[in-house]
Amino acid sequence: MKTLFAFLKKEYLEAARTGRLMFLVLLFALFGIMNPAIAKLTPFMMEMFSDALAESGLIVTNIQVDAFTSWAQFFKNIPIALIAFALIMSDSFTKEYRSGTLLLALTKGLSRYKVVLAKTVLLLSLWTLGYGLCFAVTYGYTAYFWDNGQMEHLFFAAAMWWLFGVWVIGLIILFSSILQNNTGVMLCTGGIAVLAYLWGVIPKAKVYSPALLMNAGSILTGVEEIGAYRKAVFITAFMCIICVSASIPMINKRQL
Amino acid sequence: MEILAIQNLKKSFGGKEILCGLNLSVPEHSIYGFIGKNGAGKTTAMKAILGLLKTDGGQICVMGEKVHFGQTRTNRHIGYLPDVPEFYPYMTPLEYLHFCGEISGMDQTDLATRSNELLELVGLGQENRRIKGFSRGMKQRLGIAQALLNRPKLLICDEPTSALDPVGRKEILDILLAAKEQTTILFSTHILSDVERICTEAAFLDNGRIVLQGTIAELRNMRQSDGFIIETEQKEKTLESLFLEVTK
Repeated sequence: MKTLFAFLKKEYLEAARTGRLMFLVLLFALFGIMNPAIAKLTPFMMEMFSDALAESGLIVTNIQVDAFTSWAQFFKNIPIALIAFALIMSDSFTKEYRSGTLLLALTKGLSRYKVVLAKTVLLLSLWTLGYGLCFAVTYGYTAYFWDNGQMEHLFFAAAMWWLFGVWVIGLIILFSSILQNNTGVMLCTGGIAVLAYLWGVIPKAKVYSPALLMNAGSILTGVEEIGAYRKAVFITAFMCIICVSASIPMINKRQL
Repeated sequence: MEILAIQNLKKSFGGKEILCGLNLSVPEHSIYGFIGKNGAGKTTAMKAILGLLKTDGGQICVMGEKVHFGQTRTNRHIGYLPDVPEFYPYMTPLEYLHFCGEISGMDQTDLATRSNELLELVGLGQENRRIKGFSRGMKQRLGIAQALLNRPKLLICDEPTSALDPVGRKEILDILLAAKEQTTILFSTHILSDVERICTEAAFLDNGRIVLQGTIAELRNMRQSDGFIIETEQKEKTLESLFLEVTK
């Protein structure tokens, strides 16, 4: 346990000193501010473009913005934030293979599974921190301008996207234990996400797909009910555990 | 007592045999020169000793314990210095040694004392900069400090001097000589003057096999008993000529 904490401490020090932590905090805070800001500015922007739109035959009438608009922006922007997070953090393993820094740690007796666990904890905690920050900022501003009370099952909907992020992290961990370079890790993770999306297109099978969690925004509008997500949540959580568990024998077999 | 014993070690990469039945025995308190040209299999053998490579056959024992690929407990007896040691560039030398000590499970008080002692030994005691700005020589010296941190019974150095200038080489060899008091050293190189300068025993690796081994005196006598007298301008050529003879 002591060695796991020592390696984990190194991971956080790395995130802080290489500026990744600060970058992620700023990125997620910015996304958090953008969601209510875009909602707030929408009437103003529409008014500005009303003349141009009128020439095209579109007439802008009174535009209503409320907490729904702000949260709709949140669920539109979070995929971009997740992609940015994956791009920034996906070389966590591969840069250690490339530079050879892991070699010395392993020859000191550090177990390989502890490397997997420490990096999983790091990625999960940073994603939770960033996502939580984005959510909290959006929540705060939305509460200030409008009323979050109108939103039904807001926390559940937000938790669905968080879980989808955890699933992406699981894939990054798995492919990082198999592949040598970062491009491969990103391509395979992206490939599986596309497959999950295609799986979600099949009407009878979509309730099992992790991609269903990406539609969590529709819970707020009442289009879908919480119960519809149960199977997808179970399958996604199971896949996350499988990904991390499978990475341990994979990294144990790895020749360094 | 044997610190390291290798029997019939085999390893191939993509059909090419790198080690074909390597046998090696390193006695305690020796500085053992592991000599071979580039591509002879020195690094492969060392990585196999550390359990970082899966071997195709044979057996490796460190302090009488068998080495297994992947998870090996025998690494607690070993300190390793790779040919180009890489560290986390955002750490200071002291932070790096603390990190190494913590993952080796060292006691905090001992770790603090030992880190300062070793940084003094390698001449980095006053260095508070981050490793990012270190020269190659400084990285090699820090590499030796981290390798000696947990008082290993066996110190494995993979070509520690080959990328350094003469001053850097001398510094590293002096540090290794000083470390001889504390540990047994397996030292791979193709610089024969370095072997003559610090090693007590040596083995020549060629085509994946040990073709010659013994103490430095025995190796020199072997050459004499063959009845050759080779006059060279530089003293350091003597072992090199012997190596060329046996690997022809």
